[in-house]
Amino acid sequence: MSASGAAIVARTLGFFARLRDAGLPVPPARSVDALKALTVIDSLDERDYRLTLRVNVVASREQEQVFDRIFDEHFHGASDTRRVPRGIRGEVMQGRLGHHEKTLDQEVTADPGQFTPQDVGRELDLLARWDSDAPPLEAVIRDLARRLATRPSRRTQADRRGARVDLRRSIRRNTRHGLELVDLTRSARRQRRTRLVMLCDVSGSMDTFNPFLLRLMLGLQQLMKNSRTLVFSTHVTDITAALRTRSVADSLREVGMQVSHWSGGTDIGGALARLNRGIVREGSAGSTVVIVISDGYDNGRAEHVAHEMAQLQRHVRKIVWINPMYGATTFQVRAAGMKAALPYVDHFLPAFDARSLQVLVRGLGMI
Amino acid sequence: MQSTHYCLHRMPEVRMSDPFVLDDISSIQQRFADLGYVADRALALTLKLAGDLQKPILLEGEAGVGKTEVAKVLADVLDTPLIRLQCYEGLDANHALYEWNYARQILHIRMAEHDAAARATLEATIFDDRFLLNRPLLAAIRHPGPRPAVLLIDEIDRADEEFEAFLLEVLSDYQVTVPEIGTFKAVQPPYVILTSNRTRELNDALKRRCLYLWVDYPGADKEREIILRRLPALDATLAARIATTMQTLRRIDFYKRPGIAETLDWSRALLGLGIAEVTPDVLLDTAGVLLKHRDDIVRLHDADLERLLAGEAPATTTSHQVY
Repeated sequence: MSASGAAIVARTLGFFARLRDAGLPVPPARSVDALKALTVIDSLDERDYRLTLRVNVVASREQEQVFDRIFDEHFHGASDTRRVPRGIRGEVMQGRLGHHEKTLDQEVTADPGQFTPQDVGRELDLLARWDSDAPPLEAVIRDLARRLATRPSRRTQADRRGARVDLRRSIRRNTRHGLELVDLTRSARRQRRTRLVMLCDVSGSMDTFNPFLLRLMLGLQQLMKNSRTLVFSTHVTDITAALRTRSVADSLREVGMQVSHWSGGTDIGGALARLNRGIVREGSAGSTVVIVISDGYDNGRAEHVAHEMAQLQRHVRKIVWINPMYGATTFQVRAAGMKAALPYVDHFLPAFDARSLQVLVRGLGMI
Repeated sequence: MQSTHYCLHRMPEVRMSDPFVLDDISSIQQRFADLGYVADRALALTLKLAGDLQKPILLEGEAGVGKTEVAKVLADVLDTPLIRLQCYEGLDANHALYEWNYARQILHIRMAEHDAAARATLEATIFDDRFLLNRPLLAAIRHPGPRPAVLLIDEIDRADEEFEAFLLEVLSDYQVTVPEIGTFKAVQPPYVILTSNRTRELNDALKRRCLYLWVDYPGADKEREIILRRLPALDATLAARIATTMQTLRRIDFYKRPGIAETLDWSRALLGLGIAEVTPDVLLDTAGVLLKHRDDIVRLHDADLERLLAGEAPATTTSHQVY
């Protein structure tokens, strides 16, 4: 390699180091690929240099944007702070990670917010109640996930105890007997995987939001890998990736850091709109189940909620709404957002006390 | 019903003069433009790298931005067959790779029963190439040339994760083993283009194997150029008008934003109707070409179209309050 070639390699590697600092993964194999790619481009002006590295290094649109920004910073010294994204990625980029003092644990055990009903001496820690008179929570969640995870598909697959005869396979199997169908191969309906989309309210009115639901969400997300979990107040944050870590405590800490809008106002309609325009459109309607966890207190307009709920209903198999207030003796559907949403909900489930948690688990199992 | 299909668009024909090699970036752009596809530099460079490094390309982007079209045009540019694998939930190796034609095999056996000579060679002939159904992946690998085929793996995000893993194996060495026959190794590794609407994140390993490109909606200038390339009969001012209108429409919070496919449909519609000017009435009358959701059409009806056509996107007023 020529001298200038070596210089380019050194310069590129320096840039990769910068990318890694910015949180963009550049594994050695990729950087080798990128360098190899540089050798096949004849006239290497800056534009092609940038493009060549980019198509080799990035793996998503977001990474593309990070790449371009770091490229400009690194080679032109431009630092455009306006484009630093919000959330954890922005924090990482600005080296401010860890500044969030709030963790989820603190949040959920914080003082109840203004919407807490005064009825019954309601304990915040429903987990304690759960443990006392039921099978262990983990087992319950596992069982639930197993039941939720699949449903019969229209397609079939080989199954010795299947109900129908698979003619094609039978013929193949019996080629050795000529065309006499001596032993038949059977098939059964394939199991189709359910995709769970959980949308969870973390706004002020949900300050009493209970650890049980949190644990439930976490458990379902971890057991059903293709599920998505989002939290919302006035913003929506996808916390799926944060829940992938193995330990519950780590997940909670991760979520606490990522979500900066705990205990804000509530925009249920906006959150549903986000679902409708994104995630929900992704999978097939028949395999998606949406679980909304919210008390339905909303700062937005009720018609907006109704409108988006109607949209949502057309694109998913089931809508489940878990209302943590439902189950209290004095519970009535008073919240305007809740009223607007209810006509579109397939299963409306409580999560107020130990008894209603049993109802919840049973209800989820029947979906 | 056969859900997997691959189409051999044209038989390759050998030409002596022009070597169909993607070498120079601007000439790639030129050749794409000649066939009506406006390729930006990033795409052209990616295509060149794909050829030189023999890596698949992963194109991600919204529906209707012309991802699939890249493969079709590439096949035309290279004058080579386009082999297409449309992915869907439950797609498995049988449908993607190969399958034995059992019915024909049985027929063959039956016929051999009446012929002693054929019976003797039956075993040798029954797993013959004649009875092998080449599904898209195998077809692409076995493509005899002279130039590599273009393999389009469309909407990979719809397939299951297991299939991704399987694909990874095929794409890493471009060879396939059929136990009864042996291993097929690609004479010329095909150009592989994967597209994804990003309905789910793909496996990291698969992404790492590919060159990645996000395909965005085009800017106004590029969109006008696309319209004119495809519909040379259209008036240039009208094309520019259509392009700017599309840009404005895409800023509205529609349930499904119109893509380039819609732009071209709309342009064709206006051309066919002999309309020379985009007015609010024209927009409303032809809204069905652009927007495919009832709610979106209602939203368009509610919008201030005079201002919209002046290039001003209405705020998300209709239903969504912002705090």
